[in-house]
Amino acid sequence: MTTTTTSFPFPPTYNFPPFFTPQPNTNTRLSQLEKWSSLIQAWCRHHRQYRLSLVDAIDSPLFHNTALRKRLDLAAARDVLDWMAKSEEEGGGGRRAEWLDANAGGNAAPKSVAYIWWRRPEEWADVVADWVENTGQRGSVLTVYELVQGEATVSQDFHGMDNDVMMKTLNILVKRGKIQIFGNEGEEGVKFF
Amino acid sequence: MFFKSLDLTTALRPLLLPDETLLFVQDAVGLYEGKYKIPNYQNGHAYLTSHRVCYVATEDPRKYCVGIDLKEIDRAEYQVGSSRSGARFLTSSPKVTIYPKPQNSKTDKSRSTTSSPAISQQSTLHPLPHTGPSKSPSPKPINATWICPICTFSNPVPSNFDPATATATTNLPPCLACGIKPPFTTVLKAAITAAASRDPPLPGASSLAPEENTPTGKERRGSNTAGSVSCPRCTFVNHPSLIECEICGAPLMPKGAASLLDSGGNRADSPAPFFQQARLVNTEVSESIKLSFRDGGEKTFHERLKDALVQRKWLLQNAPPVPPPAQVTSSPGAPAAILESPQPAAPRVSAVGIAGLEQRGLEARMNNQLVIGNAFEDLEALMASAKQIVALAETLARESGMATNEGSAETKAVLSESVAALGMVTTKDMLSSGSETLYLSELSRNLAEYLTDDRQGILQREGGIMSLIDLWAVFNRSRNGVELVSPSEFQRAAQLWEKLKLPVRLRRFKSGLLVVQRYDWSDDKTVRQLQEWMEELRRIPPEEPVPWDWLIFGRAVTAQETAQRFKWSVGVATEELEMAEDRGVLCREEGIEGLRFWGNYIVIPSD
Repeated sequence: MTTTTTSFPFPPTYNFPPFFTPQPNTNTRLSQLEKWSSLIQAWCRHHRQYRLSLVDAIDSPLFHNTALRKRLDLAAARDVLDWMAKSEEEGGGGRRAEWLDANAGGNAAPKSVAYIWWRRPEEWADVVADWVENTGQRGSVLTVYELVQGEATVSQDFHGMDNDVMMKTLNILVKRGKIQIFGNEGEEGVKFF
Repeated sequence: MFFKSLDLTTALRPLLLPDETLLFVQDAVGLYEGKYKIPNYQNGHAYLTSHRVCYVATEDPRKYCVGIDLKEIDRAEYQVGSSRSGARFLTSSPKVTIYPKPQNSKTDKSRSTTSSPAISQQSTLHPLPHTGPSKSPSPKPINATWICPICTFSNPVPSNFDPATATATTNLPPCLACGIKPPFTTVLKAAITAAASRDPPLPGASSLAPEENTPTGKERRGSNTAGSVSCPRCTFVNHPSLIECEICGAPLMPKGAASLLDSGGNRADSPAPFFQQARLVNTEVSESIKLSFRDGGEKTFHERLKDALVQRKWLLQNAPPVPPPAQVTSSPGAPAAILESPQPAAPRVSAVGIAGLEQRGLEARMNNQLVIGNAFEDLEALMASAKQIVALAETLARESGMATNEGSAETKAVLSESVAALGMVTTKDMLSSGSETLYLSELSRNLAEYLTDDRQGILQREGGIMSLIDLWAVFNRSRNGVELVSPSEFQRAAQLWEKLKLPVRLRRFKSGLLVVQRYDWSDDKTVRQLQEWMEELRRIPPEEPVPWDWLIFGRAVTAQETAQRFKWSVGVATEELEMAEDRGVLCREEGIEGLRFWGNYIVIPSD
């Protein structure tokens, strides 16, 4: 994980001690969750992070304000991500997070890693489609590796994207009928229409 | 006897004078003048105190409240209520009739203030129309004088002397100066003269009266302006502070009373029923008034009233203190005292130095011993010296308080001072046993007074808010261990505040904590106070450098700090902070230092 914490501009609320205490007042709590959500998204965008492992992040400056000696503990952080994962209709934060292991009975503890959708897959799909359109690559064929790591996409936001996230994005484009995916797993190629 | 105006406390009860104690309270009482109901005075509380009988109406109590001094009451009679089954309109509530003392000086007073005998006659008119200007001799006592033919001393005509029925065989008292019995005709003439000066002058009597009546009236008018009072009988101009003539001993009329009677004279023109005006204050009662007890309590009222009339507490105001240790000598139980204490009559031995101090201490102790001993000899004596005993108890409590615990000295002082308010305390004993609701409502008023009493400032000292439990404790302690109030009754009484529209209110916090507040106190006020404080904290730099931007966030406060600042108790402060948090004004921070509260910066959109 690349840490460029010094350059990340924390919002002023980050230095407000009660920010780290779950608020009992409903309205205050809502504002608190919104602020946490935008902080986590900004943090991940800044660090080009697509998934957040709570166990690792809990000691990072994101959840641990060393100056204030205040931190969001694991349970409280999980509450925040839970809220982010819910849609707005459910009273949540508009699906800005998604648990990788929500129902996993595997070795990892449940709800320990989550995608942070500072751009949701649909939004990513738009970004990729726009890029293809703008660079006149319709009809061309690219591998997924080229899309994520290739020199042509260095300037793009999705350069260096998490492979799984890219696959989710491409799957959405497939559903929209914009692309076709072929090839074996791990060596997929994409054909843009 | 006059209806006097009444000062009411914040809880709409009569404001007691110093040394006055409350004896009895009864609700659902109506007032009668003679046999007529007095409008607007038909449903209220009757308060019997050691000095007065007071009436406070339930509706509009500040307007309709009157008091009558017990010292002007001659006697009180008890009249049993009657009720016939099935005939509700024939029922009558039990009543206590109060008769005023005969005003001996009244004829002189009225005569001297009104120049015309006809008007003066009206001012003493009987209120009932059928008894109007009767030619028959009034059964009321006549204030007349007869002049002894032997020594020319002015003797009063005996009050039971009735010119209509008296005969030569009537027993007449002898002259007060020379002891010679007067001839019957002399007394009869004097009585008729006096009666004539009240009634329209009779042909026979007028020849005797004129030189006495008319000039004095005029002279009286003139002398009033000078400030001194001229005697209605001998026209000697007396000093205004005298109540009896220096020369002839005739009762004089003070100027204040004269003006009262003047208004009384004007008022008498109105026809019966007697009281047409909306308010009774300063109205004179000439016949009797009745208190109608529609809800019981009349027996106790009557008994206590009789007792109070016998005890005459109003005389005690200037009562002499308990006799000095001189009396110890007469007590056989303290032979040591005879030896030790010097005779007070003898010149005091001026002892100096330690011996002197010891001697003084010994004297004080002897005096205390005597006071305590006398007081507990019997209950009557205890009542009589209650004032001193309480004072003594206070000093003892103060001394012991100083010795044991300095910190609570203030509390002790407050507690012992609040003994002074004991007179205002309602006890179950004061009320008829059956009326639980009356007890509660009186207790409720009592509490409200206790809380709002500026002398003690209980609520002020607690920052305008205190928990009900604290109040219960303080209140019961102020009762010095007698007639304690049970918690459930206390709570029920407190819940009545709102209904009785008293200036305090009971409030339940979210957690269930019950607190007592002033009526006009609201959450908004508290929130505003807290917000102002938060603003203040953002302006004042913190004492130590803090990792956050105090210009934006200010500083956290704990419940303890809040309690200290607003002089609340910590429990109340916690509740108020949580109330503000609930309103989104504050937010909390839980940490190793405990729970702290901040101004709610979270809800402010910052980014």
